[in-house]
Amino acid sequence: MRSSIRRFRLGGLLLLLVLAFLLDLSSGPVRIPLREICHILFSRGSGDQTWAFIVRSIRLPKAITAVLAGCGLSVSGLQMQTMFRNPLAEPGVLGITAGASFGVAAVMLSGGGMATLYAIRELGSPGSWLIAIAACIGAGLVMLLVLALSSRLRDNVLMLVIGLMMNSITVALTSIWQYFSNPEEVKEYLLWTFGSLGGVTGSQLYILMAIVCIGLTIVFLCSKLLDALLLGENYARSMGLTVKRARVIIVCSTSLLAGSITAFCGPIGFIGIAVPHLARLLFNTSGHRILMPASCLIGAILLLACDCIAQWPGTQTVLPINIITSLVGAPVVIYLLVRKKNLNIYR
Amino acid sequence: MALNFAHGFRIDYYDGYREVSIVNRMAGKTDTLRYLLVDSGVAAPTNRPGIPVITTPVRQFVVQSSVHVALADFAGVADRISGLGSFQYINSPIVREGIRAGKVKETGVDSRINSELVISMHPGVLIAMTNPDAAFGQYKPLMDAGIPVMPDAEWLETTPLGRAEWVKLIGALVDREDSVAKKFDSVVRAYERLAAIGSAAKEKPTVIVNMPFKGTWYLPAGGNYQTQLLRDAGAAYPWADTKGTNSLSLTFEAVAPVALKADYWLNIGYVDSKNDILARDPRYSGFHAFQTGALYNYNKQVNDLGSNDYWESGIVNPQLILADLIRILHPGLLPQDTLHYYKPLK
Repeated sequence: MRSSIRRFRLGGLLLLLVLAFLLDLSSGPVRIPLREICHILFSRGSGDQTWAFIVRSIRLPKAITAVLAGCGLSVSGLQMQTMFRNPLAEPGVLGITAGASFGVAAVMLSGGGMATLYAIRELGSPGSWLIAIAACIGAGLVMLLVLALSSRLRDNVLMLVIGLMMNSITVALTSIWQYFSNPEEVKEYLLWTFGSLGGVTGSQLYILMAIVCIGLTIVFLCSKLLDALLLGENYARSMGLTVKRARVIIVCSTSLLAGSITAFCGPIGFIGIAVPHLARLLFNTSGHRILMPASCLIGAILLLACDCIAQWPGTQTVLPINIITSLVGAPVVIYLLVRKKNLNIYR
Repeated sequence: MALNFAHGFRIDYYDGYREVSIVNRMAGKTDTLRYLLVDSGVAAPTNRPGIPVITTPVRQFVVQSSVHVALADFAGVADRISGLGSFQYINSPIVREGIRAGKVKETGVDSRINSELVISMHPGVLIAMTNPDAAFGQYKPLMDAGIPVMPDAEWLETTPLGRAEWVKLIGALVDREDSVAKKFDSVVRAYERLAAIGSAAKEKPTVIVNMPFKGTWYLPAGGNYQTQLLRDAGAAYPWADTKGTNSLSLTFEAVAPVALKADYWLNIGYVDSKNDILARDPRYSGFHAFQTGALYNYNKQVNDLGSNDYWESGIVNPQLILADLIRILHPGLLPQDTLHYYKPLK
């Protein structure tokens, strides 16, 4: 594919992202005309106070969260697929999300003590830092373990099996914690596992934005590194790349991205696995300089679209985002498998 | 016995025994759980095989939640509680003294129940915190050991008085039907007098309750007992006519147009001050009730263990809750303005 076509498609995706963003801003149980929304966004004028509150304080943070989470999750999926040289790798499959959930459970259910819970709640935004840090550490630990085991095994299928085992160990540990916690805390934790884009506001949004930006910057800076890894570790070594260091960088950025997004939005599935494949299909390349921005754009568009579907027009309720991404994501993966009959793009 | 408010149980009288039916209203089915109450020293009827027999008056209870403690306290038999699901949330001074003296044992709740401990205690009945439709699997060992397990489904009632009327079930178990009924009647009279005052109020201030979590706002539906309290207190609750007895899960946005302008914000949740509310989410500062300080929580009676008496004695004293709500929403309508369960957030 010529680079001009790729540039054209990237431009098209960017336009689509803007449209999806506007569509997300204009969908919700309260009907607000698009003209009013633009007016509220671009002017400081008073107008209808309720509408202004809904657009500025509810819809805008949610849409921004969708963009951040979409970018972060799809890029971490892409990184992991490259590093493990496995088309099915993604944070959810290899237990990274479960690791982050364990970190969150450790904070949320903290020993089942009501006093600790009150303390965390009173901490407010330091509390959200605490959850984010716990989630990142949980994600990082699981990823390091998977990575350590993967250096001993070269088989992709074995790797996936190990990832699944790690996943079930982490889930079991979290379940033990849940079992011994108060019903109220468990309820709060369970609601968190449904995933939500609407709960990230105020200082939490800034924290998430900062962490995702740092993670994405690291990822974009090392896209060459990923290209080299793609050609095989021997090749990477011959290019003078310290494979170990590359892996450390990828582990750090992936756990930052997957960990922080999981902490704030809950475990959102399938974006990480489906989007990189969509990007490869659309751009017909395995070069990360194209795949990175493409995955970001597609991930953000997909999550914004899922959010629009989640709050189906005319209803007062909203379906948990995790359900929608799985319902949309799973058919995509199945379609790809059936159509290509072979997902091993790393040969 | 005449039941005027509760729909979840029934007591029928037969020659030599009484029969308690716990009706499963949740699934809309007709199947019921039956128990025979037989006075001690009297032979159990032979024509009702397979129905668990409870020997009355019950001398020893194992209960699972603080609501059961409140029911027993109301009937004056809190000292007969020998086992409690969890020691964590208890207010009753009698039961706390029993815990301190080692007379009350912690049995664990639900699937964590310590069956061997309960069996060794030989209680007259175990009151379980579950709905009649739920699987009774975890209580099988207890029932096999001959301990009657009776579910308390008071929380499925749709009115505050319906919930409170479950005290009559405890009254029947301890042969104090008359005195409990008399005490309950005074609660009913007080409640109905207050409800007449509240619902006749000219101004009906708009009220929102609860706090959204992760973008979803759970609000009591039209048939919920909380909604009934708001109705009786003379509040304009915008979701009072919705269907269902549980809660509605709405998006923040669907509630926002009302929340921004509502006069009062009640039952806010696990917060104790305006700063707590802002720490949860700074957007709440845009609410009218936040700006005017019309914020009230039912956490005045929280004890040193962090246990809230609203959820314990409040269940059998709905008239106190209703009086609080009327005092908050209509200052001056009742003679004095001291709140019992509620307190304003500063």
